[in-house]
Amino acid sequence: MSYHTNLEPAIWSKVQDAFAAALGLEEDEIELDARLIEELGAESLDFLDIVYRLERAFDIKIPRGGIETTALEETDGVYEVDGILTEAGLAALKELMPEVPAGEIHEGLRVTEVPELFRVATFYNIVAHLIQQKADGAADDSGVSNDS
Amino acid sequence: MTAESPTIAELNAPPVRFCFVVHAVSRLHRGIMGVRSANMGLVGQWSDGTHPADVMRVCSLSLAGVAEGMVLAVPMVPEDLLSNQERAVERMQQAVELAGAVDAVGLGSLCAVVGGRGEELASRLSVPVTNGGAATAWAILENTRTVLQHRPSGRVAVLGSRGPVGRVVAASLAKEGVEVCVDHPRAAKGLDVQSAMGPAAAVQGCSVVVGAGPTGGTLPGQALGRGTIVVDVAIPGTIIGRPDPSVTVLAGEAVTFPGHWNRGVWGWLYHVLSGYGPAQVFACLLEPLVLASLHRETPFSIGRKLTVDDVAAFGVAAAELGFRPHLSRGWRSFSPSQLQISG
Repeated sequence: MSYHTNLEPAIWSKVQDAFAAALGLEEDEIELDARLIEELGAESLDFLDIVYRLERAFDIKIPRGGIETTALEETDGVYEVDGILTEAGLAALKELMPEVPAGEIHEGLRVTEVPELFRVATFYNIVAHLIQQKADGAADDSGVSNDS
Repeated sequence: MTAESPTIAELNAPPVRFCFVVHAVSRLHRGIMGVRSANMGLVGQWSDGTHPADVMRVCSLSLAGVAEGMVLAVPMVPEDLLSNQERAVERMQQAVELAGAVDAVGLGSLCAVVGGRGEELASRLSVPVTNGGAATAWAILENTRTVLQHRPSGRVAVLGSRGPVGRVVAASLAKEGVEVCVDHPRAAKGLDVQSAMGPAAAVQGCSVVVGAGPTGGTLPGQALGRGTIVVDVAIPGTIIGRPDPSVTVLAGEAVTFPGHWNRGVWGWLYHVLSGYGPAQVFACLLEPLVLASLHRETPFSIGRKLTVDDVAAFGVAAAELGFRPHLSRGWRSFSPSQLQISG
């Protein structure tokens, strides 16, 4: 997953809309680096609403528990022990969430604390990644049909 | 409905019709729903409740001469609803179609959350869809006012204050002169309330706590002071772990019903299985009933839209129909006089 160094205005605008509607905020309050829980006041069910609105806006399917599921796969199941992230788990998380300052993904981090790391940028990156995947898939499909 | 005598046209008017859409809360619950509809796939758990044919009628309800309603179920458990909200909304739409012509649609539990808190379903139907927020806020407010009459508190914490229900509860209490502390600084914006970062910080120094979030598990029990009264609507409950034995947790959304409220055997069983016992109804079920009886075309609450005025309008109409918020602990009624003794 790539970091948001090249912010795509068309995507960003829709992401802002989705967050503003789901959280009852003004669009200009939605900043890329804003932390969802601490700064924007998102509650657990707001995450569902955000995901739903993003899926509708971009016609994509955001996998449930995407980041943690991927981290679990990348660490061959040693993502956490007794609710605390392993070294491999921390490394996977740092790679999957480059928008989070490295210092926040620290030793002793609990699985239950991971959602507190989420920024608007976390979702922007997921959306940008899925849109790219979709475009790549469409290009592949069109290649197949051209060949046949 | 007004205090004036009804006109002949009103007396002859047929009862309004409403429906209320719910889901299975567990696999066991889904299996019991299967018994009602003779759907052996659900009973035996080899069907996951996502097939269009699984949508079912649960029970009929009526307020004699005023309203007739139906509870309909999408027998999907929470994981299935949340993992595919688009499909959940489609099934909810099918459930409403099963009810036939209705004047209002209400949504219960997670059905009121998926698809933009009811907005998506509302966009697909020509009748008002209401997500229960006004009824829930009314019941919490009335129950909290009762608690405060018997246990005057220096400060009341409102948890889940970023949500529409929590915001209205905080705003209403503050307007009545109650000292309120909300659990997120953003929730204090535009209100005359104090704020703290997180539930554990917000409850410090409060002898009454309102759990107004839709889901709980956010407040460690140890954070509550001795003798605290918690009025809670979150499912599962707001408190994690065991609080001090002197802490009293009361249901925030329980409502008693008038004598002409009929729900039959299946309705009785549905209420018992939903955790409200034989003598209560949960407030959100009343929202489409009240909406239809007022012939109102705009919902009391949809998406994040919920106002203090709409909650008040709902409350007046619900009370006129004979419904009363009611303090309870589980199925048992809780007398406010116990608050003074335990304090």
